Parts: sequence; structure tokens; C-alpha cells
Amino acid sequence: MSDSRRRSRGSQEESAGTSNGLGGRNRSERACDMGDEDDTGAGPSAISEEDDDPTHRREIRSKYRDLINHVQQNREDMLNPANNKLTDVLEEANKLFANVSRAREAALDAQLLVLATDIGKEKASQLRAEGSAFDPSAFTEHLLSFMGLNRFEDESGQDGNLEGYLPQSAWQRLAKRSEFCFKTAPSFHYILGSFLAEPPPLRQRVERQRKAPSKEAKRMMPTQLKKMEESNLEATEREVERILQCLRKYFAHDPKEPISYYKFVIDPNSFSRTVENIFHMSFLIRDGLVKMNLDKYGLPCIAPVKKGEVELGRAAVRHQCVISINQETWREIIDAFDIKGAFIPPSEVLSQEG
Amino acid sequence: MSQRKRAVTASQSKTKRRSQVSLDEDDEDANFSQITSSQVQRAREHFTTDQLDRKVAEVVQFILIKDQKKIPIRRADIGKHVIKEYKAIYSEIINRVCRKFDQVFGLKLVEIDPKNHIYILINKLEPVNGEPVSMRPGNPKTGLLFVILSVIFMKGGVIKENLVWNTLKKLRVDPGEKHDEFGDVKKVVTDEFVRQKYLEYVKIPHTEPVEYEFRWGLRAEKEVSKLKLLEFVGELFDQDPQSWTQQFREASAAETSS
Repeated sequence: MSDSRRRSRGSQEESAGTSNGLGGRNRSERACDMGDEDDTGAGPSAISEEDDDPTHRREIRSKYRDLINHVQQNREDMLNPANNKLTDVLEEANKLFANVSRAREAALDAQLLVLATDIGKEKASQLRAEGSAFDPSAFTEHLLSFMGLNRFEDESGQDGNLEGYLPQSAWQRLAKRSEFCFKTAPSFHYILGSFLAEPPPLRQRVERQRKAPSKEAKRMMPTQLKKMEESNLEATEREVERILQCLRKYFAHDPKEPISYYKFVIDPNSFSRTVENIFHMSFLIRDGLVKMNLDKYGLPCIAPVKKGEVELGRAAVRHQCVISINQETWREIIDAFDIKGAFIPPSEVLSQEG
Repeated sequence: MSQRKRAVTASQSKTKRRSQVSLDEDDEDANFSQITSSQVQRAREHFTTDQLDRKVAEVVQFILIKDQKKIPIRRADIGKHVIKEYKAIYSEIINRVCRKFDQVFGLKLVEIDPKNHIYILINKLEPVNGEPVSMRPGNPKTGLLFVILSVIFMKGGVIKENLVWNTLKKLRVDPGEKHDEFGDVKKVVTDEFVRQKYLEYVKIPHTEPVEYEFRWGLRAEKEVSKLKLLEFVGELFDQDPQSWTQQFREASAAETSS
């Protein structure tokens, strides 16, 4: 049986002819061969002992797999129109197939055939082009030159393209020339940009400006305030206190005799100090620490209030009066009372003014 | 329906979902074809000219914005987002839209896929020899696309993906590495260009491991001039474009038909 198969295959090979052909295996023939093999023990197409040997079959399968791998690994080589390696493979396969009797090996044969057919088809498609062939490698070389590749002096064959400096604008150059082949519609964009983009940047700028001055201002404020507070309020309090002590001291001299208001506040050497004395005195009177009344001549006198005499904060009969003084009056009083010196000694701080 | 989805395996449910989505799209799209001429007539009388003009303007704007990414526009999207209740007079609106593009913008609204109703915008004006196409700096991706399209065209219209990658590697663009100008090259080529319909990236059956092949996409067929492409290739090789007889024949045929 195997002899007859080999004979039929032999005749097919002879009719194959062209070197680029696929080795012309008749598929239907193979199909019925396979059919025979699958019938185990069914009449005249019974399988012989030799075909059944597992080692033998393993060998065949391994050889098939080798062939398949060989084709897959060397695909490019197979495609090369310059050689007949594909036909050689098919002839190998033919030889192997002669010993195939089971479906398993035949399946491998079928797999090999699919591969071979694929490559055969590709090889055939390469042939169809009349006129010039197109070599992608040469294409890339020309492209690189166009893009401005600076090749080194000592370019060596194939590697000449992997070295050399490709400028930044390389792809730009190619793009500009390629654009020409396209009928691309220009992308639509609003000329003025998006409407929403404007407000945010402005706000940031304003905020930053606002932040800067406020920071500095804050820093300055505490120190200034401190100075001011000291010079104003505390100074006044101190002065008032000092004057009170002064008054008490004088009064202690002669507790029965009230002191003339004018004689006490007026400073014959400084008008401004006089005014200040009047100012400070008014605090003492307001707070009920000093009392003022008119003597038998109708002139104001003052005297310190003893601790238990008047209750502070009591809604006593309140009198108010406004005292005003100007420089002329001040001089008149000095002359009238013949004031030689100030009752209230000037303080060191205030002596800076005046 | 949802219960059935849950019962199937993951891969199956994905295809089911996809078909469900396309079913919805078809429903949207079906609205267009089911309209009779009398319905159209009644609808046309129902809307005033002002309303019609406004709809036309809206469609024009919609298409212009959609075109920014160069991803083709589906009729279903136009229907869903813009035309809505005016679907009955869709064809009239589209006709006016095409005329607007033609007369005002110098652009052509082309249906690249009559079956799925997908549109692109292309330039009506041909680039003039010697004059720059635009004042803006060139997009490097155009150069990349040109290389791939040229190789496919010169090699007969279909090539294995390996040829593309090998060619690009020779130009110092490696799909495995991040490129200064293009970034993820593989993504740009197999995803971006494919979605824009410049390229088709198709699985080759019976390959183990899976291999893909590249062809020209529907957009490229309409937007790219094969003749101009061949001329540039000729310039690069310093060869007469006619020396590639088959390609020249194909390019000339394409030129006259567009």
C-alpha cells in the first residue's frame, strides 16, 4: 500500500514543474489517504505492524516539528525569490508523509502545509509587481537624507544610517513636505481662544498685590501702637498722679488752707505747661480726687479729697464748667497773683516740649 | 435582557455588550431610514426657515468641533446631539450643511462609510505646487503617517506589521521605546491612526503568535493623493514615478475617481 502511495506522489512531483511552485500536492488524494488510515482494521486498508510502532511514529512527529520550526524561524529566507528553499521543505515533507499512517502525524503534516501555503502566497504576491521593485531599506535611507541626517565621514555600509546626527527639525521637515500629499481640512479653533480663560489670571494678580502691603502694614502696626500708647495714655496718667502727689504734699503743709487754683496750675515760665496742668487737674476733679470751690473772694480753690469724704461714682450733684485760657489771660493772672514760680514742678518728659 | 448578560461568560458578555451598543446605534440610525417622503414633506412644512437655518448652523459647528481630533463623525451622533427632533428632515439639513461647508469653508463633507454612515471633513482645495499648505508648523505625525502609507502603497496595499516596525526602527523610531516627538509610537500607529481611519490594523487569521497587517484606512483613501505620494517617493529615489508602473496605474486611477 505504501508503495502505491509513493508512486502516485512521484507522478505528481514530476508534473510540478516551476521552481517557484508549491510542489503541487493533490489535496483530495491526501484526504482519502487519511481516511484510509483512520479505519483501524477495516478490510484491505489495514495498517501494517511497521506503521504502528510508537517509536517510529514519535520520530516522524519530531521530524515534522523540526520542519515546522525551521520554516517559522527562517520565514524571511523562505520568502526570498532567489532560492527554492520552500520547495525543498515541501519535498522533505513529502518524504516524511510516506511513512505517515495515523491522524496525529497527518495533523502535523497539515499544519506544515498551512505554513507553506502562506509563504507560497506571499512569494507569489512579490512576483506580481511589474516594473521597479520597492525596497523599504533604500526608502528609509533616502528619507533620512531628506530629513537632514549628517552622516559621519567614515560611514561603513549598513551601519552608516544608525550613526550620524539627525537634527531636531528632521520630522518637521518631512511633515511639511508630506502635508502636500494630504487634503486635510484645517482644524477649527476659535481665534480668540476660549472665553472662560480670561478671569482666573486677573484675580490671582490682584490677590497677590493685596497680600503684599497688608503683611507689611501688620508688621509695622504693633511697634507704632506701642509707642503711641505709651506716650499718650500712660504719660497722662503718670502726670495726673504726679500732680495729685504734688497737691497732697502742699496741702499737708497747711491742711486748713485751701490752695488757690490759679496759683497751683499756672506756670509762669511756660504757657503750654499751664494748659497741661489745667488739663491734668480736670481729671482729678472729674474723678473726685480733688475738690474745687469758690472762696470768700469768689476765686476757685482746690483741695485734695480725703479718702472717706466723698464716695466715688456716687451720682453726686455734678457741676460742670469749662475753663479756657489764652496767653493774654495767662499773663494777666501771673501779674494779678504775682506768681513767681510754678507750684507744679515740670516733669522730665514734658520738659522736652515747650 | 440584563439577566441573560449576567449568565454568560466574561468574553461573551463583552461581545454581547458591544452588539447591544451597536443595536442602540442602529436604532438611532434606523430612525433616519424609516421616514417616508410624505413624513418628510410634512416635517419640512412644520419647521420655519429660521429654525432650519439654525439647525444647519448647529450641525456645521458640531462637525467642525468634532473634526478637531480627526476622528470620523457618526450620523447617529449628529442625530442624537444636534438634530434630535428634526430627524425627519435630516437629508435636507445635511444637504444644506454640505453646501455651507463647500461655499463658506472650502471643505467637503464626505461619507467614507456608506454602510455605517460615517463622515469626515476634507479640504476642497488642492495644495498648490510650491506654496506652503499652512502657516502653522508641520505636525510630525503627518511625516510618520506618510512613511507608513507610502510603504503600504508601494508594497501593493497590504503589509505585515513587522515591515512597518522595521522600517520605523531604521528611522530611529522604536515602537518599544518612548520617542521624543511621538511618545508611545505603537499606540499612535495602532490606536490613534486607526481610530482616525488613516490606517487599518487587521489580524491575520491562522497566525500563532497573532500577527497583524496594515492597510490604508477609509480616511486615507479619500484624503491622501496617491499620485502626489508617488511623486514624492520618486523625488526621494530620484526616479521617475512612472517607473513603478503598477503603483502609477493605481495612483492615476484613484486621482481621476476622486
